[in-house]
This record gives sequence, C-alpha cells and structure tokens, in this order.
Amino acid sequence: MFGYIRPAAHRLPAQETERFRTAYCGLCHTLGKRYGFAARFLLNYDFVFLVILLSDGTEAACVSCRCAAHPLKRRCAMAGQRALELAADHSVVLSWWQLQDQIADHGFWAGLPYRLAALLLRRAYQKAGARVPQFDRSVCRRLSELSHLEAERCASIDRAAEPFASLLAEIAQHVDEPDRRRILQHILYHLGRWIYLIDAADDFAGDVKSGCYNPLRYRYAVAGDELPQEVKQVLAQTLDESIRQMSGAYALCDYGVWTPILDSIFYDSFYGIGQAVLSGSYHKPTRRELFRIKQRDEEEPL
Amino acid sequence: MNDPYQVLNISPDATDEEVKHAYREMARKYHPDNYHNNPLADLAQERMKEINEAYETIQRRRRISSGAGAQRQTDGYSYQTSSRDPAMQQVRLAISRGDISLAERLLNSTAVHHAEWNFLMGIVCSRRGWMDEARRYLETAVQMEPGNAEYHSALAALNNEGYRPAGFRGVSTANYDSSVCMRFCTAWLCCNLLGGGGCFFLPC
Repeated sequence: MFGYIRPAAHRLPAQETERFRTAYCGLCHTLGKRYGFAARFLLNYDFVFLVILLSDGTEAACVSCRCAAHPLKRRCAMAGQRALELAADHSVVLSWWQLQDQIADHGFWAGLPYRLAALLLRRAYQKAGARVPQFDRSVCRRLSELSHLEAERCASIDRAAEPFASLLAEIAQHVDEPDRRRILQHILYHLGRWIYLIDAADDFAGDVKSGCYNPLRYRYAVAGDELPQEVKQVLAQTLDESIRQMSGAYALCDYGVWTPILDSIFYDSFYGIGQAVLSGSYHKPTRRELFRIKQRDEEEPL
Repeated sequence: MNDPYQVLNISPDATDEEVKHAYREMARKYHPDNYHNNPLADLAQERMKEINEAYETIQRRRRISSGAGAQRQTDGYSYQTSSRDPAMQQVRLAISRGDISLAERLLNSTAVHHAEWNFLMGIVCSRRGWMDEARRYLETAVQMEPGNAEYHSALAALNNEGYRPAGFRGVSTANYDSSVCMRFCTAWLCCNLLGGGGCFFLPC
C-alpha cells in the first residue's frame, strides 16, 4: 500500500481529524510494540484506513503516550483493538513482499537501500508471517501472478489490478460476522483496484522512462510519457466505478463512530485524490519537504 | 423485528415530515439501481425490505393513510434468465445462481461472439469487479444491437452515480474542484507524521 488515502480534512470538524490521528498514532505504537522500532517506518495512511475498516465502530480506548517523533508532547493513541493488531500484522507482511519485489526489480547498486531495509525488517517479517501464515503465502503467490502479467505486457487493466485487489480482499477473512465480511471483501477488492490504477497513473512518466511495465500504457496504447487528456477521462470513469462499488458496499455497513471520517473518504477523498493524481498536482512529499513542513507545523500548531 | 425508529435512525418523537424524509433518504441509499449487477445486491434488498417494513409500521402506528407516504421502491431490476439461445440460457442460469466462474467458462467455450455474448460477458466482468472490461463488452453489445433495452439498462447502470449523502452530490474524479483539492492535498498537515511512513523507501 502506498499511502494515498486520507480523509478530506476540509469536510471534517477538528474532533474528527483528532480521532483519525488517534488511529494513526495507535497503529504506529502497535507496530512498534509488536515488531520493534524499524517497523514503525512502515506506517502509512492506507494502513490507517485499513484499521478503521477492520474496527467495529465502537469508541476505542485511548492511552496517552510519547514517541520519537514527538518526544515532548504526550499524545493520545488508540489501543487495545484487534483491528490495530490485524492491520499491523498485514502491513508488515505486505511491506516485506513489496521490498522483495523492489529488490528483484533493481540491480545490485540501486537495490542496496531495499536490501538494507529488508535486513532491518527481517525479524519483524518472520514474526508477522507466523501470525498470518495464509496471508503470507497468498502475497507471495499473487506477486508471482503479477510478475507473469508484467512479463507478458498485459493490456487489460482489470487483469493487472486483480492480484493486488484480491490480495487486499483476503484481509476481510478476519471479520467474523458473515455479512460484514462480504461487505468488507467487496470494499477491499475495489480499494486494491483503485490503489493499483492510481499508482499506475502516478508513476506513468517514470515507468515509461525506465522501461518498466505500466498497464495504462498497453491498455490505452499511449506513445509518449504523458497520459493524453482523453485517456485521463476514460480512466477517471473506471476509477469512479470502483469508488461507487466501495461506497455502495460501505452504505450497507454500520461503522459507528467512524462514520463522519469514512463518509468524507468514500464520498469525497477518493475523487479528490484521483483528480490530483490525474492532473499531476498530487505528489508525495520528499523527506526534506516533510522535515520543513514538520518544523513549520510545530511552530504554528493548527 | 427491530425498533422501526432505530431502523430509520430517527427518534420516536420525530415529526411525520422527518419520518418521511428519513425514509426517502434511506430508500435512495439502498435503491436497487445502486446495486445493479453487484454481488452485494441481496444485502441491499434485505435492507430495503427492513426500511420499508419499518416505515409501514410507523405509518400504521400513527394512523397515516397509506396514500400519504413516499412511493415504495421494492423491486427494481430482476435478472432475466430466459434466452432463445440454449448456450446463453445456461450462462444466464449460472449468473443468476451466482456461479460466475462457470458462466465465464461457458462463455469462453462459445465461438460466436454475438451481442448477447458480449452482454453476458459484460455482466460477468462487472460481477467480478472488472469494471473497465465490463464497460467495453456492454458497449459492444449495445453497438451490435442498439434496440435492446436490457443491454442499454446494463450500460446505463454503470453510469449511475449511486447514493451520496447531501453535500457530497455530483463529485467525480474528472470534475473535482481543484481549488478544494489543493487544501485537501495538504490535509495531512493536520496529523503529525513520523516522516511519511514507509513511502521514502518504497517509492513504488
């Protein structure tokens, strides 16, 4: 997962963004507690979204704690939820296999940072793999399916998105209630499809330059390193279809205290992020920018 | 049965107008059109039944004459299981039973790709979540047989905006207001990050 999904803050009152932050801090602490300090760096927004989707909608207990990022200020972190543990286990396994994929894709020198990261995460992965062995095996299998599709330059975006989408859908297995499980399965499948396609659009220019497989290039037969406007229109349409599938499924399920946050995500964020990625105004902040923004953030607290 | 007021998510002393409004909003939410060719259609139908029953119970209790209520929306779309072509008939039966992989196998073993074949392939893809291919097959079906209402309605269902609560209507990826988008893209500032998580060593 790549960290695309965040609530639409302009739609939410402060107490709701604060609630989202408790889930964020909660996952970070759970990762640290279960898998050691290095695993905390795996934290991203998509995994926080997963925590919320897996939770049962009741008000979660909070513990006040400090962390390396905010050593002075005590913060409230969500605790004691099974959703946190499940999301932590799955995120470690997913990130590990993503690292392996990167190592395989890059040469010796370019792959060194990934090898180093994998070395740091090895213990964490072994633990997580033992906790969710079935998921671990599926990720491995689906990744090899994906590399077959990549090798044959698959021209179907649905087929290319299938391995990642089905993989995410498997996480729903941990929900006990059958109807809720089916609903979550449907949400996660289309979430995976949406993330995969958005990521393909986001990386389009880079993939063309480096000669990496990008499904959009083959599906829409794009010659240059930029997606033409009419292709973006068609892509936006198919992204919307996945979002509507997700929001339709979401409407069937009661998410209790998370409803305002999830409303903002399902009915707004997905569209906004999609638009930002397609128009090129979305970008992942670099480490340096993050540091600068963090400093500014600390100077003028919101 | 559950408390009808709870089902409609209103308090027992809501006015008649509020009851009607809550019912209409929920009926819009779970309307069959929003779950056309959707594997969760049965759950939506159950919900629809629940809210219809709740609304009727409240009406009965309040002795409102039945004509005053909102229109009932129970059955929107029923999947046709009859076809003139026996091979396609088999496929339709498989789809209506929910056996999508059998339907796909049957379709793949058919040599002639006429309009109905494209239509059924579109339905199979849409059940699997393969929305791009679903659209292509359905468009082909409509092109090959422009007069067929069934094909048209399946294609129209793909364009259905679905349920949105008030305030969220009309938003789509293509027409999202980019000035809002700018505010939105920096939304993460509200939450203090620990250096952006895994992104920096997973530049996927």
